[in-house]
Amino acid sequence: MVALWFAVLCLMIVFFVVLDGWDFGAGVLHYLVARNADERRMVIAALGPLWSWHEVWLVGTGGVLFVAFPRVLAAAFPAYYLALFLVLWTLLLRGLALEFRSHLDNPMWQSFWDVVFAGSSAALAILFGAAVGNVMRGMPITPDTALTLPLFTNFGVRGKVGILDWYTISTAVFALVCLTAHGASYLTMKTSGEVYARSRKMASWLWVATFLLLSLVTVETTSVRPELFSGMLARPLAWVALLVAGSGLTAIVTGLLGGAERRTFLGGCALIVGLLGTAAASLFPVMLHSTLAPEYSITAWNGSSDPSSLRVAAFWWPFAFLFAIGYFVFVGKHYGGRVEETSDSHQPY
Amino acid sequence: MGIAWFLVGWKWLHLRTGDPRYADAARLWARIFGINFAVGVVTGIPMEFQFGTNWAAFSQYAGGVIGQTLAMEGMFAFFLESAFIGVLVWGEKRLGPKSHFAAAVGVAMGSWISGFFILVTNAFMQNPSGYAIAADGSLRIASLSGFLLNPWALVQFCHNQAAALVTGSFAIAAVGAFYVLRSGTSPRGSLFLKWGTAVGLAASLVVAFPTGDQQAKMVARHQPPALAAMEGRFESGPMADITLIGQPDVRNRQLNNPIRLPGMLSFLAFGTFHRNVPGLGAFPQDTWPTNIELLYYAFHVMAGLGTIFIGLMALANLQRFRGKLESTSPLLWALMLAFPFPFIANTAGWMTTELGRQPWLVYGLFRTAEGYSKSVGSGEAIFTLVGFAGLYFLLGLLYLFMVGREVMHGAGEAAW
Repeated sequence: MVALWFAVLCLMIVFFVVLDGWDFGAGVLHYLVARNADERRMVIAALGPLWSWHEVWLVGTGGVLFVAFPRVLAAAFPAYYLALFLVLWTLLLRGLALEFRSHLDNPMWQSFWDVVFAGSSAALAILFGAAVGNVMRGMPITPDTALTLPLFTNFGVRGKVGILDWYTISTAVFALVCLTAHGASYLTMKTSGEVYARSRKMASWLWVATFLLLSLVTVETTSVRPELFSGMLARPLAWVALLVAGSGLTAIVTGLLGGAERRTFLGGCALIVGLLGTAAASLFPVMLHSTLAPEYSITAWNGSSDPSSLRVAAFWWPFAFLFAIGYFVFVGKHYGGRVEETSDSHQPY
Repeated sequence: MGIAWFLVGWKWLHLRTGDPRYADAARLWARIFGINFAVGVVTGIPMEFQFGTNWAAFSQYAGGVIGQTLAMEGMFAFFLESAFIGVLVWGEKRLGPKSHFAAAVGVAMGSWISGFFILVTNAFMQNPSGYAIAADGSLRIASLSGFLLNPWALVQFCHNQAAALVTGSFAIAAVGAFYVLRSGTSPRGSLFLKWGTAVGLAASLVVAFPTGDQQAKMVARHQPPALAAMEGRFESGPMADITLIGQPDVRNRQLNNPIRLPGMLSFLAFGTFHRNVPGLGAFPQDTWPTNIELLYYAFHVMAGLGTIFIGLMALANLQRFRGKLESTSPLLWALMLAFPFPFIANTAGWMTTELGRQPWLVYGLFRTAEGYSKSVGSGEAIFTLVGFAGLYFLLGLLYLFMVGREVMHGAGEAAW
């Protein structure tokens, strides 16, 4: 049951990163692919009305963490107190930008929120990338004192680490580039005209940069957590996830070369799913790895709530999940196809 | 939560009758609803994460139980609301009338389901039920139905949702009164006045009776020190008075210049005048609510405003049935200026329930003083609190500007 909840948690995170990932990426690219008001309206319209549905996967992840692994939540959230507030405030600004932008048909109003949207999207991609880096690297957990992390210590990855070091900065940059590439693929699928042409050019470069950074981060991970790679060989699920990532990579390359936008986009989704899946499968059961001594780590086993609570949650969760997908299908079917450039319609979607 | 069902009602009438006035009304209020919703979403996301950041000890203690409803809220309600809110506000052309009506229903259902799960969470903290203590001392769930169907939650849900309808009705009536006062006659204004006052009276009555009455009985039964503090009652005894006016003086354990109705508290709380209602003196001081004065005033502000709401709405409906509402200018002014007061009453009501629960985080089980995140320093907590205060103040200004703009926009447009 604990392993199942670990899988559910990872599934929710994967949904969030893949879905909101393209919104973040499109946000980063907002000023790079769209040069005037009409083009920027097209980018916003391409995101469609479902961005908040994408973001709910983050809220859902928080809920699952709360009910299934309260000890993990209680250890990690206060430890990253100020960093988390930075995430919350940035999320707040980004949500306001997307919702408020189109209520006033005024160029100053819209450029203000466009800048907020682009800036907060980039900041969040970096922050979530650093968060993944922290989970991979671990944190200085001791059994008797409450965990707190300074922003940085000596930028090393062992012992008394801070939030930022050379490894977590690399993952942050990787996340920014990878999600931006993902956003570019999404925009090539949904837009037309100049925005489409620029997105297409950006997508090729960004995916190349993603592959280079991915190899760099992989090499770095072998030096930060060598035991993850030796453990991975014995786990069939990690192999499956690697296969998904590999096929995603192939699809991106062939899609870019053949000009098949949908294939590139789906390849990007598969790559992100595969990478997160590989990470999850090799980390299990450790959820918060201690950089001081492995036996202090908080695992799925000692961090989960009582089995009765897990059983009860397992009873309702599948229904909620199916409903959630159902709404997405219902709304999504009205929003298929490309957004056309129309100057007469001032409605965003 | 209040406006959501007005939207559903108007969309439905439009579908049934084809009358464009209803579609127009729904369109205006959907835009205002969208602004409300955006502010609600962005300020709501931090709240969920603050359980972890600021109340880590409490989260670890109660996560297995209250995590259920918080996760359910995310999974059942937020996905529903978030999928449909965008298309409700912007997607009328894309969706067509039937699907757009479905979107309105989805958003309304989502917001009420969300309210239910949050109130179950709060009700557990007020009156824990359906739980057991796990081996490590934390709480675990023993009965999902016992937890979800907590009697406190059902009463609190009805009370709170009726209050939400009051808030929505007052806002709609206020905009209607503004349009009529501004232009003399305004078909849009008449429609809003009609709906706002009709639903407003019904909801105001339900807030007081039976839901408010039941809520008070619940407090009397399960949190007797809170009831004593709400009424500024220090001595015990039968034929307990209800206080209309007075100031509690906690140091000297008395109520200054009280105006009381004799016996009414015994009657309202327990259904008989002869029932003993214990005063604060009957309880050990470490179970007293920590801020008795604030609790007392919050409760009286809520109850007083609730009574005034019934009076105002009754008068408005009386004039409406006589066909004189739109020519009774003082009443229109009162309706127009009344819209902030339900917000004040709601806030005072939440202060009553939360201050009344003190000093407990989970009533009788876990004290507030034990629940905070031990590793977060007071400086960090103050910094983030000030940050939120500043951000939310700016957000409040922005909100007023945008809603005001929509209302003015609606007033300026030619009729229908």
